Amino acid sequence: MSGDILRILLLILQLGFVALLYVILLRFARTLLRDLRSAEQVQLASRSGIGRLSVLESPDDEPPAGTAIALGPINSIGRNVNNTIYVEDDFVSTNHAMLTFRGRSWFVEDQGSTNGTYVNGHRIDRAVALSFGDELTVGRVRMRLER
Amino acid sequence: MRITWRSAELRLLVPILFAVPLGFAITNIALTDTLDPGSMHLALGYVGLFVVAHLALVLFGHRGDQLILPAVGAMGGIGLIMLNRLPQDLAGTSGFGVQLGMAETQLLWFGVGMVLMVAVAVGLRDYGVLRHYKYSWAAIGILLLAATLLLGYEVNGARLWIDLGPVSVQPGEPLKIVLVIFIAAYLAETRTLLTSATMRIGPVHFPPLPYFLPMLVLFGAVMLIVVRLNDLGTALLFFGTFLTMLFVATGRRSYVLIGLILFVAGAFVAYRLFGHVQSRVDIWVDPFADPLGRGFQPVRALYALGRGGLFGEGLGQGLVMLGSGLTIPYVHTDFIFTAIAEELGLLGAFALLGFAAVLVFRGLRIATLAHEDFGALLAVGLMTSLGLQALIIIGGNTKLIPLTGITLPFVSYGGSSIVASFLMIGLLLAISHRGVTGEQEAPNRS
Repeated sequence: MSGDILRILLLILQLGFVALLYVILLRFARTLLRDLRSAEQVQLASRSGIGRLSVLESPDDEPPAGTAIALGPINSIGRNVNNTIYVEDDFVSTNHAMLTFRGRSWFVEDQGSTNGTYVNGHRIDRAVALSFGDELTVGRVRMRLER
Repeated sequence: MRITWRSAELRLLVPILFAVPLGFAITNIALTDTLDPGSMHLALGYVGLFVVAHLALVLFGHRGDQLILPAVGAMGGIGLIMLNRLPQDLAGTSGFGVQLGMAETQLLWFGVGMVLMVAVAVGLRDYGVLRHYKYSWAAIGILLLAATLLLGYEVNGARLWIDLGPVSVQPGEPLKIVLVIFIAAYLAETRTLLTSATMRIGPVHFPPLPYFLPMLVLFGAVMLIVVRLNDLGTALLFFGTFLTMLFVATGRRSYVLIGLILFVAGAFVAYRLFGHVQSRVDIWVDPFADPLGRGFQPVRALYALGRGGLFGEGLGQGLVMLGSGLTIPYVHTDFIFTAIAEELGLLGAFALLGFAAVLVFRGLRIATLAHEDFGALLAVGLMTSLGLQALIIIGGNTKLIPLTGITLPFVSYGGSSIVASFLMIGLLLAISHRGVTGEQEAPNRS
């Protein structure tokens, strides 16, 4: 007799267990959907994001260290205030380097600067393709290309 | 300091942490026919581990992904319920005067894994440092393999284990992580070169071989040794992960095509050359040819799947015993999915697949949120590796593909696998933290 009751209890518990698994899955699905919707909005807000330069090290604080510079397709870097990215550093030339987005990837080219342009610690002598996460150094300013 | 609550994670964890003790209760009632609490302390220990991990992440201000930990909790919970239900003498540890059963040992490894996961998630927020030591990773990988070749001993015709006093370790598990880190670092550096430059022979574009060379050499060495160790599942896993990462990094279909052609050719050669490959394929094609010999395991597994049906036999009520032993050999490692499908039915098995799918989806999401190529590639590689592993062993269980013995992540019994999988989750959490906050190395103002 008590065996029968246990069997019935077992059946109910078993069904409850599987149902609970699906309740959990539904909750996962809801959270995923909500996240996707908010991601869509974030993407709409920053539609033109082809990349940014985050400043890792900048002794004279122009551009300030710890900030990120939004990039257009063509960016000139130098000590002249007319450059897209103005860098205040004694070791940077007036027109130092050019950072351009061509097709699907970023390229950087030195503009005949005195102290050179460095990618991941290596001095470049021609236009070099950059990956996201690469480090770009002009003068004493160290920056990283990010998505 | 402001506390950032991980409320979505908590909301998802709560029902899971109720489900695990419920599953233990059902098992206990079914096995003993009484309301005796039995091994409930294990379920409570499991719940405790996840609560502590959640609180630790909150306390350290971790702002990474909130769906991964609950998904892992659900998979591991179903696995632990099943391991607790199986005879406890299938595996276990004894040492230092303590004797631990199978489920207890598994819980212990969960504890170790979760401590490491939190440590990596919190301590490696600047995971970019991994990138700078890429050839060290390659060297560690080769060392791990060499150690297995020289010191390893065989279980079931595959030499995978190294004996380290109280515990045996499978070097293939850490090797998986090391290899993914190396490939991610290498591809992040050469990605632009691999996509922009091409060698052309006639009308066909070929990948620029010189840039591939270091990777191909290492990869060839790994594959060769893995095949020498008779570990086909791991070989398939490495190859699939590598190909996926290559495709994600370059966006070139031709690389995938070349890889697949190489795979088919390699599989054909392996089938012709190695007896064990041939026998695996023969069993897969027709397990009923020798149902009491070579085909015993898959035939029993198919019967178990059939008995399970849509709703399952019920926890603790399936799994026919043959004398005093279970009828499916290695039901606690390679065939745990079959055991779950028998007792929870197709519905329960689908739920498990659902949790795994959530995990994979979140991994790819983390990759899209990463700000650098290395982080994105690392996330893709880690998640492909976990997902593919689940796919290979579940496919083997259900006779979709030839069976190769690897573990189902977070579900199968096995310390090396559990710890390695948790390390991978820790890395993913670290990547997602950076992706969410955009946090960078502390600016150096001297």
